[in-house]
Amino acid sequence: MSVTNLLDNWAAVRHFHPIDDKPHDPYKWAMAIDLDACIGCNACAVACYAENNLPVVGREKFKHGQVMHWMRIERYWDEDGRDYPDQGFQFLPMMCQQCEAAPCETVCPVGATNHTQDGLNSQIYNRCIGSRYCSANCPFKVRYFNWYDYPTTENVWPAEMNYQLNPDVTVRGKGVMEKCTFCVQRLRAAEVTAKGEGRIVREGEVQTACQQSCPTGAISFGNLVDPESRVHKQWQAQQVDLDKDMQEKNQKEGGSDLRGYRILEELRSYPSVMYLERVRESAV
Amino acid sequence: MIDSDSVKNLAGHPFDRRDFLKVLGWGGAAAALSGCGNTSIEDGKETVVSYVEAKDYVIPGVAVYFNSTCAQCDAGCSITGKIREGRVLKLEGNPESPINKGRLCGLGQAAVQHHYNPDRVREPLLRNGDKGEAISWEKAYALINEKLAGVKGEEIALVSGDVSGHQKVLLGNYMDSLGSKNHFVYEAVSPAVVRAANLKFYGVEMPRYRIDKAKVVLSFGADFLGTWVSPVHFAQQYAAFRKGVDGQRGVLIQAESKMTLTGANADRWLAVRPGTEGILALGIINALGVATGDVAELVKDYDKVRVSRETGVEPSNIDKIAAILKLRSPSLVLVGSAAEGYQHGLQNAAAINLLNQVLGNVGKTIEAPVSVPFPQMAPAKGKTAALKDLNDDLAAGKYKVLFNVATNPVFTAPASYKFRDNMAKAGFKVAFAHYLDETALQADLVLPLDSEMEDWGTHVPEYLADTVQINIQQPLMERLHANTRGFGDILLALVKQRRAEEYKAFDDYYGYLRSAVLQNKAALGGAGSDDDTFWNDTLSNGIVKLSGASGALSLKVDVSGLKLPTPKEIDEQYPMNLIPAVTSNLRDGRHTNQPWIQESPDPLTTIVWDSWVEMHPKMALQLGIVEGDIVKVTSKTGSVSAQVYLFPGIHPDAVSIPIGRGHDAMGRYAKGYGVNPFEIMDAVFESATGELAMHETRVNITKTGQRVIVVKDEGPAGGRQMGRKIAARMSTDQVDLSKEV
Ligand code: SF4
Ligand code: SF4
Ligand code: SF4
Repeated sequence: MSVTNLLDNWAAVRHFHPIDDKPHDPYKWAMAIDLDACIGCNACAVACYAENNLPVVGREKFKHGQVMHWMRIERYWDEDGRDYPDQGFQFLPMMCQQCEAAPCETVCPVGATNHTQDGLNSQIYNRCIGSRYCSANCPFKVRYFNWYDYPTTENVWPAEMNYQLNPDVTVRGKGVMEKCTFCVQRLRAAEVTAKGEGRIVREGEVQTACQQSCPTGAISFGNLVDPESRVHKQWQAQQVDLDKDMQEKNQKEGGSDLRGYRILEELRSYPSVMYLERVRESAV
Repeated sequence: MIDSDSVKNLAGHPFDRRDFLKVLGWGGAAAALSGCGNTSIEDGKETVVSYVEAKDYVIPGVAVYFNSTCAQCDAGCSITGKIREGRVLKLEGNPESPINKGRLCGLGQAAVQHHYNPDRVREPLLRNGDKGEAISWEKAYALINEKLAGVKGEEIALVSGDVSGHQKVLLGNYMDSLGSKNHFVYEAVSPAVVRAANLKFYGVEMPRYRIDKAKVVLSFGADFLGTWVSPVHFAQQYAAFRKGVDGQRGVLIQAESKMTLTGANADRWLAVRPGTEGILALGIINALGVATGDVAELVKDYDKVRVSRETGVEPSNIDKIAAILKLRSPSLVLVGSAAEGYQHGLQNAAAINLLNQVLGNVGKTIEAPVSVPFPQMAPAKGKTAALKDLNDDLAAGKYKVLFNVATNPVFTAPASYKFRDNMAKAGFKVAFAHYLDETALQADLVLPLDSEMEDWGTHVPEYLADTVQINIQQPLMERLHANTRGFGDILLALVKQRRAEEYKAFDDYYGYLRSAVLQNKAALGGAGSDDDTFWNDTLSNGIVKLSGASGALSLKVDVSGLKLPTPKEIDEQYPMNLIPAVTSNLRDGRHTNQPWIQESPDPLTTIVWDSWVEMHPKMALQLGIVEGDIVKVTSKTGSVSAQVYLFPGIHPDAVSIPIGRGHDAMGRYAKGYGVNPFEIMDAVFESATGELAMHETRVNITKTGQRVIVVKDEGPAGGRQMGRKIAARMSTDQVDLSKEV
């Protein structure tokens, strides 16, 4: 079977949002990250540790690639053999892209990771059996596995440190997979409050922990199907369409002068995070 | 608690109002004190109920929020703590603060791990041999009193870091009561030389910088996005600067010998030969060709060819920079630690400041600061020279009693000071401490402090963004450990040993603070509201904002003393410059025991949990060194060994080791990780200010033959994208930002 055939077949059976007759209603959570504003400071990543009960694994386990940071700042420099990175580095906050057609979901033998109504890639900890297929299949490498039982591991949450744990977020035990949830506990709280008041969540009412901390406001987050939301406006202005695997603007001759793009879009996982390209001055 | 009897007694005393003002911190105030501000004290209606006792608002499962102030550095960001079931869980920025407008840095986020840290000191400890024995507070206070008996004021010294607000007032009054003038304000990392240069040039130590109004920012090693002065505030200005003034995106040029976080975000990063920053500045003035008179005379020999030869910056880059600075105005030139850390640091800083005058930026992107109307509360700003002085005095055996307020000079003094030995010469050493760090371990008596989330206080940041603000610090939860005490409470107890009469109205620091604030209610914006309302509002806002006067800068252009040394010849024995790097995570190393900080990758190298020696790949090739090689870095003073990381963002003549790791005490997350560059730092001083010239140490590098795997977050591809469009980039001529949302 050719790869094209494989992909065609996969696409035919794959359930993903938004499907034509069932658009996201009333929520589709999405993000836009301005790489020209992002300074690579890591505040977002630390805020994520605080909000989501991420364990600190220590030097040895970090060395073995067992770090649990749901959000990491990737850092790149030019590859053109210059002596110095004299146009600076490029920083990229990377976390689960909450793919609309998530490759991690299809391979889970027990259906522990699923697409939710409001457009998230969810992880059900007590269904997860730790096969780790999802992690192998994630193109962005943003899934983190609990190789150890961190709550009982020495010096992860020793006495008093455990008081800081967020009671709204499960503390995960050994053998389960985890990853960025778009701070689902905050979203659910806001959705429930709004529902009780007979409305939908308003723009600005809910922020993810990373967004809230970011000193430069590089991260915007909101409901993509709400025309009032900043995220919606940004995606629209940048002509990035959620359910395209190649944006029209890029097919024009000479490319686009808009900064919005999604990483590895061509893999057709339909990520919910749009990045805005970093800009560098041409005059110096 | 203030009982009405004692208040009446106080009121009945021959009562000197001027002294009373001083007691409460409003002495010498420029803002008016209303006559009726202190009725509550004088008529004895006061009852103080500490809010931490009132629990009726605690609803299980529902979070409450309290405002306070971040104490992880001195920028003074305001925080909002999320509290559930009486425990603080998460900090956010307080949107009402003009400094951080709702945002926080990573260090600020980690403050909860300071509070809940398992290695905090929990009991007063008295030295018994090499052990600390837990004693009661009564005994501790009695002991201090006893040890002070018969000791003259000049035989007593106190060292603290930056301090402001009412803690500073009490501290000052305590020292006063002891008859001692020896308060050493010490910060291991502080822009003291820049302050001195600014004072000479602008007439103020710290003007307000308006990155957001500048079209071009040229920064000589000022890491304003990571570590410099008020990083969260500047990061926000930076975001506005990138969006642009009139649709034109701001351009950042950074010149330094080792790339900082700010440098990593520059449009053009220039690797400058260490110590030649001032020469580059004069070269740019020369290339601008607009200077007249004295200034023109000064720069006339700094032509491109010479400047390029001395600084290592290409002539074409000097031209380009001059061109863009001329074209886009106003600009802003900043000077930071990379330029000030030399013997001629002040000269460097003066030459760089001169650029602002030549470019006409003063008054446009450099504004006068707002002045704090309460001099007693204005911040005392730390210097490294203070430690030198203290150390000299200690070595001479001048002090019988030494108080250390949570600074760690045993860790941050250059090894050649022999601070540990000199400290031992003080007869009785008292440390106010959060951890048993290197310095607290040398003390005779350790007084365990409340965390900043258990304590009361007021803070006035040095860098005020908009208005004068007095930041309130209040407990976000009850104290975790029964026997820690607030800094203010300890001071109050101590000052009462000396001046019982003046302070007897205050049972605790909370009562003191409340009285102090209410006494000056009118000047603090509370005229007309009753005491309880005003106090509660103050606490719930977490900030008292005052409109402060901000005049014009009095620019003084005097280049007569300005003279830059020609770059030093390479020393055969010690051919490399050591750059002790200040990183945004670690700063001076006081937070290294917070595991989020240890595990948060260094933004530039992505290394965690360890120190490294940063070296340019070219130099490494020459020396036959590869990543992970353990090398010995040797200076005249000593040597340390650490893993090498090959890093293109550093001048080949320099190597860099970050400050903050290499603790041999403090706690489980800090002890034994990495090396401490202060151990090999030569004691060389800036010649005009006496500040430690941190970049003057020369070293050589030898291989040890060992190699390790560098623990980092970089990923197998290193810094490369392997041809994929991952972190993409456009240049300004390809994109139109004005259309964006
Ligand atoms: S980014 Fe990875 S983990 Fe997240 S939804 Fe996509 S495939 Fe799944
Ligand atoms: S907090 Fe903001 S600026 Fe800092 S790394 Fe994260 S996204 Fe970038
Ligand atoms: S800059 Fe960071 S550490 Fe300093 S006060 Fe602000 S949040 Fe706290």
